[in-house]
Amino acid sequence: MRRIFAAIITICSLTVVSIAQESSTPKSKNKFNPEVSVIGWVQAETGRRNPASVTAEEPAFSFKEAELSLQSNVDAYGRAEVFIGFDEEGNVELEEGYLDWTSFPYGLAAKVGKFKSNFGKFNRTHVPETDFADRPLVAEQFFGDGGLGGAGVSLSWQIPNPWIFAELTSEITNTPEAAEVPAFGKAYKRDLLYVNRLSGYQDLSESLNVTLGASHAYGSAGQEFPGVSFSSRTLHSQLGGIDLTLRWKNPRKAIYRSAFWQTEALWSKREAADASHIGSWGMFSHFQYQFARRWKAGVRYDYTQLPTNGIMHEAGGLAYLTFTPSEFSLISLQGRRVRRFDGNKETLGWLKITFNIGPHGSHPF
Amino acid sequence: MKTLFLGSVLLALNSPVFAALRIVTTTEDLAALAREVGGKHVKVESIAKGYQDPHFVDAKPSYLLKLKRADLFIQVGLELESSWAPNLLRSARNKGIRPGARGFLDASTGCDVLDKNITADRSQGDVHPEGNPHYWLDPANGRIIAENIAGRLSELDPDHAGDYRSNLAVFETRLKKKAAEWGELTQAFKGSKVVTNHNSWPNFAKTFHLNVIDFVEPKPGIPASPSHIKNLINRIRREKITLIFMEPYFDEKLPKKIASDTGAKLLILPPSVGAVKDIKTYFDLFDHNLNLLSGALGGKR
Repeated sequence: MRRIFAAIITICSLTVVSIAQESSTPKSKNKFNPEVSVIGWVQAETGRRNPASVTAEEPAFSFKEAELSLQSNVDAYGRAEVFIGFDEEGNVELEEGYLDWTSFPYGLAAKVGKFKSNFGKFNRTHVPETDFADRPLVAEQFFGDGGLGGAGVSLSWQIPNPWIFAELTSEITNTPEAAEVPAFGKAYKRDLLYVNRLSGYQDLSESLNVTLGASHAYGSAGQEFPGVSFSSRTLHSQLGGIDLTLRWKNPRKAIYRSAFWQTEALWSKREAADASHIGSWGMFSHFQYQFARRWKAGVRYDYTQLPTNGIMHEAGGLAYLTFTPSEFSLISLQGRRVRRFDGNKETLGWLKITFNIGPHGSHPF
Repeated sequence: MKTLFLGSVLLALNSPVFAALRIVTTTEDLAALAREVGGKHVKVESIAKGYQDPHFVDAKPSYLLKLKRADLFIQVGLELESSWAPNLLRSARNKGIRPGARGFLDASTGCDVLDKNITADRSQGDVHPEGNPHYWLDPANGRIIAENIAGRLSELDPDHAGDYRSNLAVFETRLKKKAAEWGELTQAFKGSKVVTNHNSWPNFAKTFHLNVIDFVEPKPGIPASPSHIKNLINRIRREKITLIFMEPYFDEKLPKKIASDTGAKLLILPPSVGAVKDIKTYFDLFDHNLNLLSGALGGKR
């Protein structure tokens, strides 16, 4: 309740400041206000979830999230972006909020705040903006509902070379709780998570391009209490990932036809309490084809083991048909069939609707 | 052998070719104008090709390699490139070409921009609140853009300011001569009523005295509904419209069907330099389009 009250007060204050500026100061001063936009995500679900599923049973209709984003240059050196998620139960979450310095020499840039980790490509996409009504099983099992991320610092370097676009990113953030991100789990409040990523991009032709990335994450994964020493020992987990994205779009008819294929896989090596290691892996592969100006269809294959169990696994597939009335809204019909790790099958159907209000922001690539 | 290769690379890097100002533009029209004014002192590349819809360009990381090395970035502005250029500029790690820097130029400054102050509401489609961004299709605006570029090049490269001024003068003289020719050519179809697919041509229509009475798209970026198509067909028949024209990057199917139902001609009119092989310069763009119009509307070729 306190969170809802605080959020309402914050929004009212912003509105009052905005109205006050509009009425009492020259219009030009409003130019200093940040760009404000909201993405709304409404969803209907049908089918029965497996009781052993990591995600809880959903109501038939839900307003999954309203994501408020505020973006602006802070000064001549940096830009701030803040993303706040509200759900229909009144939960408010700072999804991301960071200051980005991109004016450093030698192709360097830094980011400080709370952000989604640069592990793979899918992890950084905000949930309402993905093509899916759900999350790939591997993302769900290893990184939970919100994805891997936290407060910390990030340094990235565009590696100078005349041939391809290459970037190296190193991040240090707080280790998330195991309940949020099952692949890791802080043992102590100040445990840190280290994430590195090297990615390269190349145009294969005017219509076809490829992005290849390799990621690594290392952090704590709980602790053990050996009976004889009366002391605790932090356990660690490390993940390695690769991702490959191929995009095709004929620039002469760019708004009518495009295709996209993305595959991501990760491997986990996790220390267990008995000094052994648990190895597990998972992957998803997503293909999307836009067959008309406002229509696209896609399929996704999922396979994953569990971060704490390299023997049990889940597998399944998703198919969808999406209609985009405009750039600012979409309606998507989706179906997913999954065989859960306990052998039970789960079939779910969704109607996902999203809308976007506010200025026309740049599309991430 | 290795030493010889490295030596050649170093020599090449120090040659006058590499001393040229690197200009990156968002469209080929701006690139063509920058080449007219910059001459031998500039190396110009465009991000969007002339056959591409400049509203929808993917912000590919390969463009960052060009932008990172650029001395000057020129955009059409008026939110034409708002879905891709800001991301590229932020990610290019080149503060010299960001908005506000000397290496950033919004070419619309001082141009005659139409459709300003329209209701800036998404219910009106993909509108541009600051005005219609297809203003380069008026040669008078082409002159202003060239002046803007010459002014900025002189600031960035004062040693060659004289050359930029003289290149601009040559361009302006030629443009004046061509404008007279184009004016004469368009006399034959002055005041003709036409339908266009998208609202890309207000400046062009104003300059060459065409009367655009309706659009195939009911609102910018919104596909036509059956009732809009029916009303449009009735209007074309009622007002005896003989010409529909459209950009090459849109689907021809619906305009073709409307043309065939009404007996009107459908013309593919490129709005940008580089859209077809024989449009290499800003002058070629108007020569090509006005000759096509002249042929379609029955004027002299």
